[in-house]
Amino acid sequence: MSHTVITGTGVISAAGVGASRILHAMASNEYLFSGGPADNEDAERLPWPMAKVNPADVTWPQHDAWWINNQKFANLAAHWAVAAASEALRTARSADAEDAERSGVIMALASGEEDGVKIIPRLAALAQTDPRPLATLLYEEVPDYSYVRGIPSQTGQFIAKVSGFRGSNVAVYGEASAGGLAAMSLALRLLESGELDRVMVVGVAPPLSPAALAALDRSDVLGTEAAGGRGPFDINRRGPLVGQASAAIALERKDSAQRRGVAPLAELVCCEAICGATLAQAVSAAVELVLSEADGPPDVWWAHGCGSVSTDGVECQAVGASIRPTTTSTKGTIGSAFECAGLIDVAVAVEALNREVIPPVGLLRNPDRALGDFDFVRDEPRQAPRLRNALITALGHPSSAATSAGAALITRNGAQR
Amino acid sequence: MISDVVITGMGAVTPIGDSVESFWQSNLSGTSGLRLEDEMDLSDLPCGWVIGVIPDAVKRSIKERWGGRSMGDALTRAAVEQALEDARFEQPLARNAGLIWVKSCPASGSSPLEYENHMKHQAERYRAAGDDAAAVVEYIRAHSSPPTLAESSNIPAEISKRLGVPVLASRIEATCAGGLRAIAEAARLLKSGKVDFVIVTAAVIRRTHYVLSQYGQLMALSRWKDPPTQASMPFDKRRSGMVMSEAAGALVLETMDHAKARGVEEVHAVLGGWGLAVDTAHVTAPRIEMIERVMRTALANSEASIEDVDTINAHGTSTRLNDISEARALHNVFGERMAELDVCAVKSLTGHGSGASGIIEIIVAALTLCRGVVPPVVTCTEPDPECNVKTHLVPAERPIRTVLKNSFGFGGQYASMIFRRPANPRQHRSYDVSTLSDDRANARSKLS
Repeated sequence: MSHTVITGTGVISAAGVGASRILHAMASNEYLFSGGPADNEDAERLPWPMAKVNPADVTWPQHDAWWINNQKFANLAAHWAVAAASEALRTARSADAEDAERSGVIMALASGEEDGVKIIPRLAALAQTDPRPLATLLYEEVPDYSYVRGIPSQTGQFIAKVSGFRGSNVAVYGEASAGGLAAMSLALRLLESGELDRVMVVGVAPPLSPAALAALDRSDVLGTEAAGGRGPFDINRRGPLVGQASAAIALERKDSAQRRGVAPLAELVCCEAICGATLAQAVSAAVELVLSEADGPPDVWWAHGCGSVSTDGVECQAVGASIRPTTTSTKGTIGSAFECAGLIDVAVAVEALNREVIPPVGLLRNPDRALGDFDFVRDEPRQAPRLRNALITALGHPSSAATSAGAALITRNGAQR
Repeated sequence: MISDVVITGMGAVTPIGDSVESFWQSNLSGTSGLRLEDEMDLSDLPCGWVIGVIPDAVKRSIKERWGGRSMGDALTRAAVEQALEDARFEQPLARNAGLIWVKSCPASGSSPLEYENHMKHQAERYRAAGDDAAAVVEYIRAHSSPPTLAESSNIPAEISKRLGVPVLASRIEATCAGGLRAIAEAARLLKSGKVDFVIVTAAVIRRTHYVLSQYGQLMALSRWKDPPTQASMPFDKRRSGMVMSEAAGALVLETMDHAKARGVEEVHAVLGGWGLAVDTAHVTAPRIEMIERVMRTALANSEASIEDVDTINAHGTSTRLNDISEARALHNVFGERMAELDVCAVKSLTGHGSGASGIIEIIVAALTLCRGVVPPVVTCTEPDPECNVKTHLVPAERPIRTVLKNSFGFGGQYASMIFRRPANPRQHRSYDVSTLSDDRANARSKLS
């Protein structure tokens, strides 16, 4: 049994700032997608609708000259990460000088492609006629610090600054949607080993480039229609809908939170990310491992449920082999936000446990019975006065290379808010 | 109570050796892997004309043997397979295993030719679609070469298949401290009791115009214009920057109890403790007090005193600022003992392979412990009196009980780690494969 509690959450998504906004959006069946073939006002004219973050929701600290001088090292992902972490710190509180060295940061994100996407194609075309050697051209034309800005753990240094957490900083990347829970599993080990007292886990899914979206689409067809009946677990689902977001979970040893007088939001019982020979083996192993540390079956399953024709089936088959709990998913409302998807689900599940409500799956109309006899929540929220435990799963985006899955179990046992 | 975490297997593919033994021999003989970069025109860059390259013949052979989506994946598999063989691994493991891996291999290519081809494709696409997002998607859909996800890799699935069990896997990044951080993650995983056997691996291969030009912008690379083999000279007063390098390394870590249960009594090294820290004062520059802090933490967590440490396996990048900062921190921590502490700096021969450097340098640290030899720093022929660290031009043979290893990186990354000589150090010998079957049968029966 873990002795780790969640003391703060921060989420920036298409629903706005905070996990409660997502819960509200799910409960009220809000439509948060824009773009795609049906949107004639979309300037980008991409084939896929997306749940986009409103840039006005992303704030950057203004109180410290250090930040002004160092924004040159911060790409968009860093700005989003800082905004989410700042939100989580509102309840978890920053580290003071005494506990700074016993507090750490784990990031979950992909390596930054932002500068490269904007600049490199133009420079590549220029290089065809420019007399300068290619290395010289890049040396002279690529903006300063572009390379540094794209380093994942570089973003973690900004989180260390905003949080005061200076005991450790590592980035988990390349795991796609399993990355958030992979990062949380590392954080849990840091805490359970006694090495640190507090860890801020932050995931970021900034806007993807057209090339990255095309690559994702080729590995598992993305949804082109965000409409009723195209959501997760629906018999007419047509692929994952993409979302943008950043999310932060403040984890802390229970004794540290008690000492600081911070009331926990929930307890993190277990979290693991596992890779198998196949995605199905990975999901089964992750869920089995997490449930082995639980007192009993979970009250609700916060499924990855991204709307993929293949992955929804793999996930349901693996989980359904051992349990059939009441099931929901955020992705029909805010889309699939890759590296921070698992963290978003943890944050929203915490909110749901404390409000004793299970929100419906967005865009789900006709559950696919081939997925199994699951109790999918649809249309309206369900009150659940005895709601105590939630199982959260997160899967890598399907491709021949993605066989990673994460699972986490949270409980409100011991939570005092 | 979890028993000691030990290194039971090691694998290396580097510019100075494609096996642990050849790598070690090159370290002892001072054989350099550095040469002038001759496949890219770098003449207008202010620095970085020398590079550490894994020989083409080695790469070709590894690619043929291991295939994979990229050269980085092939190097990873090659290093991991060496480590598994060295660890005398044989399926099945009784429980899930662990995999902590580092890979820095840009999707845009890992060699000059690959990068040039990438840029040609980018140019064609830009001419056809410009900055129009929808047109870019249409272009990509219409062309046969599928775009790949930047981070896409089969490595975890392949290693899961190779080990025969699911793996608790994390791909991590912590700039140039990534190797040591990966080992710390692996040790924590072992100490959690959830696994008994973890592979730690790192591969870095990014020899492209883009990467060289960007490190050139940072003025972090060597400006040495004389013999390239001298371009990386940690702690030498003429040092002018680091040399970028390719490398891959792998370690098998397990609990001593698990190793013994498999019939492996002789191991390479015992992991002591470590110190990790983040500095927020600067993005790229090291700070003496942070280096000092992680070394003191590593000593405290190992329950070791400064008298216990026999040699330092330095980060030693050959930049002006790193080496003086590391040296001053060492003097602050070890005081008068610095006069007798041998310091080794592997990057003098290999160049700097970022996260992979941490792994291959720990291999050197482990062999230093087992064989009682501190490798020389042959490029430090004019020691910097301001650094004032004790390096040798020839191997220094003497009993070594404890090594302190440092790694630092951009983004305020600091790591220091202690390794101890095991009670039964791995002897230098090649295992006779024909004799292994009995040992393995015994090990399997113990595990079951």
